[in-house]
Amino acid sequence: MFYQQRFDVIVVGGGHAGTEAALAAARMGRRTLLLTHNIETLGQMSCNPAIGGIGKGHLVKEVDALDGIMARAADRAGIQFRILNARKGPAVRATRAQCDRVLYKAAVRAALENQPNLSLFQQAVDDLLVENGRVSGVITQMGLKFAAPTVVLTVGTFLGGKIHIGLENYAGGRAGDPPANALARRLRELPFTVERLKTGTPPRIDGRSINYSRLQVQPGDEPTPVFSYLGRREEHPRQVNCYITATNARTHDIIREGLSRSPMYTGVIEGVGPRYCPSVEDKVMRFADKDSHQIFVEPEGLETHEVYPNGISTSLPFDVQYRLVRSIAGFEQAHIIRPGYAIEYDFFDPRDLKPSLETKHIGGLYFAGQINGTTGYEEAAAQGLIAGLNAALQVKDEEPWSPGREQAYMGVLIDDLITRGTQEPYRMFTSRAEYRLLLREDNADERLTEIGYRLGLVSESRWQAWQQKREAIEREEQRLRATWLHPQTPAAQRLETLLGQPLTREASLMDLLRRPEMSYSKLMALEQAGPAVDQAQVAEQVEIRAKYAGYIERQKNEIERNRRQADTPIPQHLDYDQVAGLSAEVRQKLQRVRPATIEQAGRIPGVTPAAISLLLVHLKRLRAAGS
Amino acid sequence: MVYHPQDRTGRPLTAAGPGDDGDTIAAQATPPGRGGVGIIRVSGPRAGAIARAVTGKELSPRQAEYLPFFDSGGEVLDQGIALFFAGPHSFTGEDVLELQGHGGPVIMDMLLRRVQELGARMARPGEFSLRAFLNDKLDLAQAEAIADLIDSSTEAAARSALKSLRGEFSRRIEALLEQLIELRVFVESAIDFPEEEIDFLADPQLRQRLDRLANSLQDVLAAAGQGCLLREGMNLVILGRPNAGKSSLLNRLAGRDSAIVTAVPGTTRDVLREQIQLDGMPVNVIDTAGLRDSGDEVEREGMRRAWEEVGRADRVLLVFDDSTGFGTQEKAILRRLPAGLEVTLVRNKIDLSGGDSRWRQTDHGPSIGISAREGLGLDVLKAHLKQVMGYQGSGDNVFMARRRHVEALERARAAVERGRRQLVEHGAGELLAEELRQAQQALNEITGEFDNEALLGRIFASFCIGK
Ligand SMILES: Nc1nc2c(ncn2[C@@H]2O[C@H](COP(=O)(O)OP(=O)(O)O)[C@@H](O)[C@H]2O)c(=O)[nH]1
Ligand SMILES: [Mg+2]
Repeated sequence: MFYQQRFDVIVVGGGHAGTEAALAAARMGRRTLLLTHNIETLGQMSCNPAIGGIGKGHLVKEVDALDGIMARAADRAGIQFRILNARKGPAVRATRAQCDRVLYKAAVRAALENQPNLSLFQQAVDDLLVENGRVSGVITQMGLKFAAPTVVLTVGTFLGGKIHIGLENYAGGRAGDPPANALARRLRELPFTVERLKTGTPPRIDGRSINYSRLQVQPGDEPTPVFSYLGRREEHPRQVNCYITATNARTHDIIREGLSRSPMYTGVIEGVGPRYCPSVEDKVMRFADKDSHQIFVEPEGLETHEVYPNGISTSLPFDVQYRLVRSIAGFEQAHIIRPGYAIEYDFFDPRDLKPSLETKHIGGLYFAGQINGTTGYEEAAAQGLIAGLNAALQVKDEEPWSPGREQAYMGVLIDDLITRGTQEPYRMFTSRAEYRLLLREDNADERLTEIGYRLGLVSESRWQAWQQKREAIEREEQRLRATWLHPQTPAAQRLETLLGQPLTREASLMDLLRRPEMSYSKLMALEQAGPAVDQAQVAEQVEIRAKYAGYIERQKNEIERNRRQADTPIPQHLDYDQVAGLSAEVRQKLQRVRPATIEQAGRIPGVTPAAISLLLVHLKRLRAAGS
Repeated sequence: MVYHPQDRTGRPLTAAGPGDDGDTIAAQATPPGRGGVGIIRVSGPRAGAIARAVTGKELSPRQAEYLPFFDSGGEVLDQGIALFFAGPHSFTGEDVLELQGHGGPVIMDMLLRRVQELGARMARPGEFSLRAFLNDKLDLAQAEAIADLIDSSTEAAARSALKSLRGEFSRRIEALLEQLIELRVFVESAIDFPEEEIDFLADPQLRQRLDRLANSLQDVLAAAGQGCLLREGMNLVILGRPNAGKSSLLNRLAGRDSAIVTAVPGTTRDVLREQIQLDGMPVNVIDTAGLRDSGDEVEREGMRRAWEEVGRADRVLLVFDDSTGFGTQEKAILRRLPAGLEVTLVRNKIDLSGGDSRWRQTDHGPSIGISAREGLGLDVLKAHLKQVMGYQGSGDNVFMARRRHVEALERARAAVERGRRQLVEHGAGELLAEELRQAQQALNEITGEFDNEALLGRIFASFCIGK
């Protein structure tokens, strides 16, 4: 039967992609339905409960700048906050929060339940309704049909999942959930390219059985960082420590002895695992010269004893896991609560997606999250947000929008996925971003909030807050540019002690701030330079913009130069066989990706500048023939 | 906290390296039939400013003026004709400047560098035509021709440019690239994986590596700057069966007897090299052992070396005896040549065969008749070589490709230098990283793509990263 109410957007899956997608569509005023197999698992952190980190923290701040939930939930659930790379430049600093799993889930659940225009429904989805190449709804496990012109699928954890512990394996989803098998089978019948990936988790340990006196303490930062721009320190729960220990020679011996029963080393696993987050058996085998590897011992919450030993992901048989864990300092008496395992699962080649994350084959159908080959809550949330907002736009026949590589890490993420696909679970690193100096955590609002407001994603209160900040920054910059210090004045003399050299000609406060040895607070210590702005975030922006000015300008010029290419669209159904002069190899690559613009085409590995010129010539000819 | 790219005096460093603009392009071009005159053509928004800087005066559009060309120090580089066309009334539809000088390749190269210093970048093959086409300056029927031009000249130029930078030079560039990648592996992993145990940015090794890279770049550029790139010349390899007259041809082109000529087949057993000038353009003529099935071990070695030379050739002269004609053995040689390598067929001994020396197009390439012994047809051959190896009208050639390489090396060097200062003076690792990325982009133009993904691959292969 058909459910009587019609929806604009249906989101399938209640993980981090699904919740952001549903919230985004609902914020934009669309009648939205979130379907999940289990309402209790909404916002579940099914792996290590930490949010952020380098590259990932950047994504979270961007989701936040568009009024997404992730940063705000992290502020309510974070039990240890740190700024990574604090001693390096602002562009590469990133926030990380160790979270309480239960508090995080509660925060997300509360947001979902209080969101106008959003309905929740508990039922697994088994099939899609597709008419004339367009999606028109979904069918649930019990045969109930829901109709909507757009559907966002976020059921990646884990499609067609297969769990391995030693040489044993069985079908399974994330953290004890059933795998979405019926839907996986159905999707395999559609014209998408399905591939297989692999990832792993460490055994979880009962904190009461750990001898913490043998571990190194890793405290959170003081003062405690706040994740969301609208977040407040007072929202944070009680803060706790994390710890560090390490593997040793004996651990490595135990692992080597167990390899004959490893599903990876005996060829039972076919999926490709990530290069950057290897299982502990991989670490030991690939880096045989290292006799120790760090383990970060992370609490999973305030009300649980479960501890996540980050760094010993493994699919070795349980008896080996048991011995290897107990060989580690502090873990001598450790009790394992859940064994570690490797999981293989399906994903869909994201080169079948448009920049909006709509699939190329089925109109109105969007994919977001792990289904696209990514790993990580943050990557999932970013995609969910983009897919949700684009579904919402499509319902109203509006142009799709997704950020470019120069605008956001979200743009880097999506562009990498749709242009290059992925061979391993994709996660964000700052080195993926060409415009790293522009894409900072501290200016996510500057980059995105106004766009979000125009799209209808951003609330009035955030918009007001950002406008105030922007005006304050501009005012202060104006003041610094207009205030001059002259040589041979008392101020200049005090300045000399700061600069280590005399002021030889008059200089504006802005000139002085740009000096390497100067900082905003130092400058403001001069009586003549004040009054300083009282909002720390404004002062920070003024300072960073001054210090990075030359580089910001250079990167902006680079972007400007690419603009013409970015603004030259390529028809989606272009017949690449008709483009004269292309080599067979380049032709094939273009056919696979079907880039949306000349600029995207240029970024496909192996597509040369000459090939781009040939494409330009061809497009021009087509246009002339058409007019 | 120190992030602004400025020097000690607080003066901002120029944001972009030379030629980083990407909008104004330059190339060397000589219209066919006007050998001896070199033309530099510039197109784009900076053409007017470049004209003013080079000639020291305001040019009126479309009025040829004979005047001196100045270098940055105000010294006269060359004397010649300057012509300025204001867009859209120009060949490309943009502002266009043409500088016609009489200098040989070395002067032309200096002039090109001057233009580049003023903000133009070296044009890619076919780029002038492409712009003309995109700006509606060429009609649609010409689109096909442009496509061909971009396509074929790119392949040929890319092939010959790197290869003709003889073994040593390209090895040095490969080594540079490797040094740069290793550095980036350190710097990028320090940024993306700060929880790993070592902080590479604080490691004194990093500075040493950076210094070493800066020095290597300096060395390579110094070598290139002395014109050795140009002086190295292009490689013209003579191939053919024994006794076809290869050594005689070498002696003729060189104007002296450097190779031993006998009637005994297999006389030349090693590779012989002579540098000649064609219109001041250096060309290495390389004589090789005759190619045949031979049991002689020494001769076999000679043939192996002959094929090695082919690997570095910009062009091949395939010599055969005109009285016996072009036969299966010649065809066999042609089949073994790498795709895209250009060949001229030389019908030798026309004094015996009674054939003429006329240039002909054949299925296997252009063909010219000569008598190496009597000195017939050599002027036709030389004229032909000038045309196919010299500065060509609209296409690309090895000189242009090399100039692009030098430009890229210069950009890389400037970026590494800025990066070194960011690290050493300000401890700004992320700005060092940004400069190294720029350097990488520049070197990529010579050696081909090495992207973020490849870099991550290297990081994960070098260090055990991740929890
Ligand atoms: N009649 C005639 N004999 C030639 C000509 N070129 C070369 N020869 C003769 O052919 C023989 C082989 O010449 P050589 O240059 O050593 O040939 P290689 O083996 O190809 O290097 C010598 O006796 C030359 O004198 C030519 O143009 N006309
Ligand atoms: Mg000989």
